[in-house]
Amino acid sequence: MAVSVQYYLILSAFVFCVGLFGILTRRNALLFLMSVELMLNAANINFVAFSYYHGNLTGQVFSLFTMALAAAEVAVGIGIILVLYRNFADVDVTKATTLRW
Amino acid sequence: MAEITAFAPAIAVLPFVSFLVALFAGKYLPKKGALAGILAMGGSLVLSLLMLYTVATGHAHQSTLYTWVGGEAVPYELTFGILLDQLSTLMLVIVSLISFLVHVFSLGYMNDEDEGGLPRYYAELGLFSASMLGFVFADNLLMAFMFFELVGLCSYLLIGFWFREAGPPSAAKKAFLVTRFGDYFFLVGVVAVFATFGTAAFGGPGVEESFPHLAELALDGEASVNTFGFAPRTWFTIVGLLVLGGVMGKSAQFPFHTWLPDAMEGPTPVSALIHAATMVAAGVYLVARMYGFYALSPTALAVIAFVGGFTALFAATMGVVKREIKQVLAYSTISQYGYIMLALGGGGYVAGVFHLTTHAVFKALLFLGAGSVIIAMHHNENMWDMGGLKEEMPVTYYAFLSGSLALAGIVPFSGFWSKDEVLFETLIHGLGDSPLLLGAYAMGLLAVFFTGFYTFRMVLLTFHGEPRSDTARDPHGVRWKVKGPLAVLGALAAVAGVINLAPVAELTGAHIDFLHSWLFHGPEGLNGEHYEELLEGVAGYHAAYPLGETLTMLASAAVSLGLALAGAGLAVALYRGPEPVEHTDKLGALKTVLFNNYYQDEYQVWLAEGLTARVARAADTVDVSIVDGVVNFVSSLSLFTGDRLRRVQTGIVSNYAALLTLGLTLLLVAFGVMQGWFL
Amino acid sequence: MTTRPRLHTSSTQVVGLVAFVLFGVLAAVFLTADFGSHATFEGATGITASIGYAMFNLDAGSLPSEGFLISFEIIDVILLGALAAAVMLGKRDDEEESDESVTMADGGDR
Repeated sequence: MAVSVQYYLILSAFVFCVGLFGILTRRNALLFLMSVELMLNAANINFVAFSYYHGNLTGQVFSLFTMALAAAEVAVGIGIILVLYRNFADVDVTKATTLRW
Repeated sequence: MAEITAFAPAIAVLPFVSFLVALFAGKYLPKKGALAGILAMGGSLVLSLLMLYTVATGHAHQSTLYTWVGGEAVPYELTFGILLDQLSTLMLVIVSLISFLVHVFSLGYMNDEDEGGLPRYYAELGLFSASMLGFVFADNLLMAFMFFELVGLCSYLLIGFWFREAGPPSAAKKAFLVTRFGDYFFLVGVVAVFATFGTAAFGGPGVEESFPHLAELALDGEASVNTFGFAPRTWFTIVGLLVLGGVMGKSAQFPFHTWLPDAMEGPTPVSALIHAATMVAAGVYLVARMYGFYALSPTALAVIAFVGGFTALFAATMGVVKREIKQVLAYSTISQYGYIMLALGGGGYVAGVFHLTTHAVFKALLFLGAGSVIIAMHHNENMWDMGGLKEEMPVTYYAFLSGSLALAGIVPFSGFWSKDEVLFETLIHGLGDSPLLLGAYAMGLLAVFFTGFYTFRMVLLTFHGEPRSDTARDPHGVRWKVKGPLAVLGALAAVAGVINLAPVAELTGAHIDFLHSWLFHGPEGLNGEHYEELLEGVAGYHAAYPLGETLTMLASAAVSLGLALAGAGLAVALYRGPEPVEHTDKLGALKTVLFNNYYQDEYQVWLAEGLTARVARAADTVDVSIVDGVVNFVSSLSLFTGDRLRRVQTGIVSNYAALLTLGLTLLLVAFGVMQGWFL
Repeated sequence: MTTRPRLHTSSTQVVGLVAFVLFGVLAAVFLTADFGSHATFEGATGITASIGYAMFNLDAGSLPSEGFLISFEIIDVILLGALAAAVMLGKRDDEEESDESVTMADGGDR
């Protein structure tokens, strides 16, 4: 029994929008990172869903690489948050606005 | 002998080298570069004489030295070249001779007086001579224009030589600006000549296309030139008058004469050079050089003659009241160049060149004589402080007297012969079919009287009577460097007339009008014979002798000599005694007018300050308020909108994310609606 | 005043609505789209093994895929770079000053 690809997409869109909601409403940088992880995983769901849909493994392999990239992103992200805290004594992203103009 | 012409460029290059030597090494040389200048000018003089001889043996020469714009893609060829014919070699000899003597004289005037800045002085003198010589042998109008401008530049430098004082820099600027004003017209004229004829060559042996010749053909309908929609004759008159603008500026013709009296601020040897051989002579020489072109336009000739005649009279009247010896000479220069213009305009090509020659000699002499007097008077130029210098400085006196007699036009000194021929030529052509010339002639004739008067007033005040000041009682001695040139020029001024004793030739039948035959044997299209044909055939000048040829000539000579003697006699009568009085006061209001040079400076200053400055200020207002206003408005507009727009950049990540999301959503909806996804 | 966490209901929360709107649009797009029939891994075996082979360009898997060796290596480098970058960012700017300043437990130095 095969689940229609639409449902995977709806799931992926939902996860993506949850992550987006987090980014739009939260001010804590760590929560930002988590939200970004959610969005990346929404993309992974799409990869796997279409891999299954097309009967081709490429999507699945690529989702592995996406996870690796997410790891790299988190590593750098945590480093940036560390610097952010050092400079602003806070991890509130709305406070770091000194570079705007 | 034809190969000797290969050395012709050296005539101008030698002084140029002396310019470089004096400029860069003058400090280390004995006499501060004077010797280099004297050697160079001596070389130039020798070479010029050689060229004169070469041309005399029938080898007029033209060669192109350097083509700096030319080739297939360019419609015009711009070249440097050399034209050696009767006129230019004669002028080369005059210029190099005067310049040589001025260099020698400068040893006495500048070196012995311990003037500073001598290397600069000799460098500028060298460059001045070089540019004038280059101008003289130029074979095309553009090259002539370039050297013309160099001459102007050098006169600016030399007039402002004592730049630490108040007067000279201002005088230099005035000379530069006034002549530059005329030169604008000249430049436009040069461009017009190029646009019309495609060449600016004067002509000469081996030159296929020269602009006077093309103009001549165009008038006959044998050649077609671009006359910009005018009739050829009208257009040639316009072009001729444009070039004439430069001539009038340089030759100090009314109304551009105002710079010349002020130019007396320069060192006296420089004045001699400027007035006799270079700067001022450049203007009239240009007219003579392209006489074949002017001869085609009776209107231009009439303008030349009228300007000349008027200037001759006008300047002579101002010379009558001046106190400084150099001022009198300055006005006499303006006046004499007026005569040359009168001759050229009146159809007397030979007479004009003749007067140019004799004037160069006697005016250089007078200026150097004045320089000698000024040395003696410890640089006091006021004639009312002089007097009685005759006994103290006989060489200067006799030389100066010779020059004065020539200037006044007393027989048999050189000035008489040339001035007489100028007036005679104008008269006979005026009596022909050109009654307009008679007006110019009358002014020229009247000026003879004034010339005689102011010349002898100057001589009497300077050399005769009792000394009127302590310096005049015990003048500073002058040495051979001063006396030598004076003696040479004094002798020449007395006898230079022999080169063209036209009246004597007429009377005796002997062929002693050498200059006449000299200029009539020039190369094809550049000789006096050709010019006379043009004057007769194209300009409609005819000679008329109401009393018969001989008698008319004698009558004309008698009238001008009589007037000169009358003027001189009046001066002698008024200023003869040991203690002459200032008779000028009797002139009343007229004296003030004359003293202020007919308020020429005032109205020109008014033109500059009252009119031009105001127009410029109005233009400035337009520029500042409207042109700049638009530019500033555009910039402030973008500044303002930029300032508003940048507020989009809050620096808050959430806002960027919200905007991104919003954009993505809108795009999706837009695409969906357009592609009909939702149906 | 207690320090318990409170729900933020300020105006910044309103922008969260955009996420809901986007979800609505996406859902509408997906649901109206027609994907048709599809191939599946019906009856295929060794999917995980095939992934392993695909990653190293080994042509042994039973399922179709491209080779990913180069991507694999690139990701390797990126991870390494990210590690280095994280260390660099985490390091304090100047060592001398840090000795004097009070280092706080969370890495700050204030």
